[in-house]
Amino acid sequence: MILDLHTHSIKSDDGRAKVENYCKWIRKKELPIDGFVLTEHRQFDDESDYRHLEDTYGLLILKASEVETDYGHVLVFGVNDDLVNSFDFAKVDNPLPEVLEAAERCGAFAAPCHPGRKNVGLFAHYERKGPVDGVHTVEVLNGGSIPGEDELSVERAAEHGYRGFGGSDSHIVSRIGFCATDFDDEAGPIDDVDGLVAALHSGRYRPVSFRDQEDE
Amino acid sequence: MAVSFDEIELGDDLPVEQPDLSLEAVTRFTEGAEMRFPRFLDHEAARAEGLPGALVPGLMSQGLLLALLHRWSPGCVVRTIDTVFRGPLVVGTTAEVGGAVTDIDEDEGTVEVDLTIVDENGRTVVVGTAVVAPPA
Repeated sequence: MILDLHTHSIKSDDGRAKVENYCKWIRKKELPIDGFVLTEHRQFDDESDYRHLEDTYGLLILKASEVETDYGHVLVFGVNDDLVNSFDFAKVDNPLPEVLEAAERCGAFAAPCHPGRKNVGLFAHYERKGPVDGVHTVEVLNGGSIPGEDELSVERAAEHGYRGFGGSDSHIVSRIGFCATDFDDEAGPIDDVDGLVAALHSGRYRPVSFRDQEDE
Repeated sequence: MAVSFDEIELGDDLPVEQPDLSLEAVTRFTEGAEMRFPRFLDHEAARAEGLPGALVPGLMSQGLLLALLHRWSPGCVVRTIDTVFRGPLVVGTTAEVGGAVTDIDEDEGTVEVDLTIVDENGRTVVVGTAVVAPPA
């Protein structure tokens, strides 16, 4: 199963993509993904129900969050009430160790995204402040990266022994599916967010890029 | 190439343009728009503000996106345009302006278009969407 693990809709302040338009685009362009995860900025969208779109378009649509820490942005999968009450999702400087610990304690899965981004990514912060315990996985392929950033992410992730996944970080419809994550069958069934969290913990996946195909 | 509503399909790309972002072009824009601010016209003054150089005004970027729409579909009416400025677009650099059709409303006779400006480093510095009514 291939999922784009990092997308934004109009629920994010800088997102301009309607979720149904993502679905139409994926089907029209025959993108090789089975679904996507909405990772809205600094919030968890508990209200939206996309099951009718899942049924109509045959896609898996899950919800997660992109929170902000003193070491850059972090994707959190498996957000629940306990986690929402553990730290302030709206803050832009949550301490990374606290976010990682809270996610672990609440049964979620937290991983820094676009870690190779200049000045603001995890590894730029490592250069200035040193590494953080508890990081195990990072987004090594990000659809918004410029040349060199993903390469740096892959290299530094390997140095630290981190696993890597991919996501498009799309904010508009036509950018979905630039990067994604290909899960092995052995990662287990991914029918809902619990399945996704279990699959991420399994480590049985790899980042994939479809950017070249998108640009054609 | 005139594009009418009936010719448009979901997923169509708009022709990519490389706009003139020279200081001369930006100066002409700021004269016309009465936005003669140093941050748009003077690299040193902009850097003193912590910017990477003089910036192409956001209003000019939006104008470039509108121009793209009108060249793609002459005679169209742009019902709405909404832009997000995600990074600086520096005067004197190169960039690519592009778009793609992401939805079609047959009842309204409108299309929704993604819009982007990508700088010379490959960073998407402006994204947006527009609702456009092309000629029938």
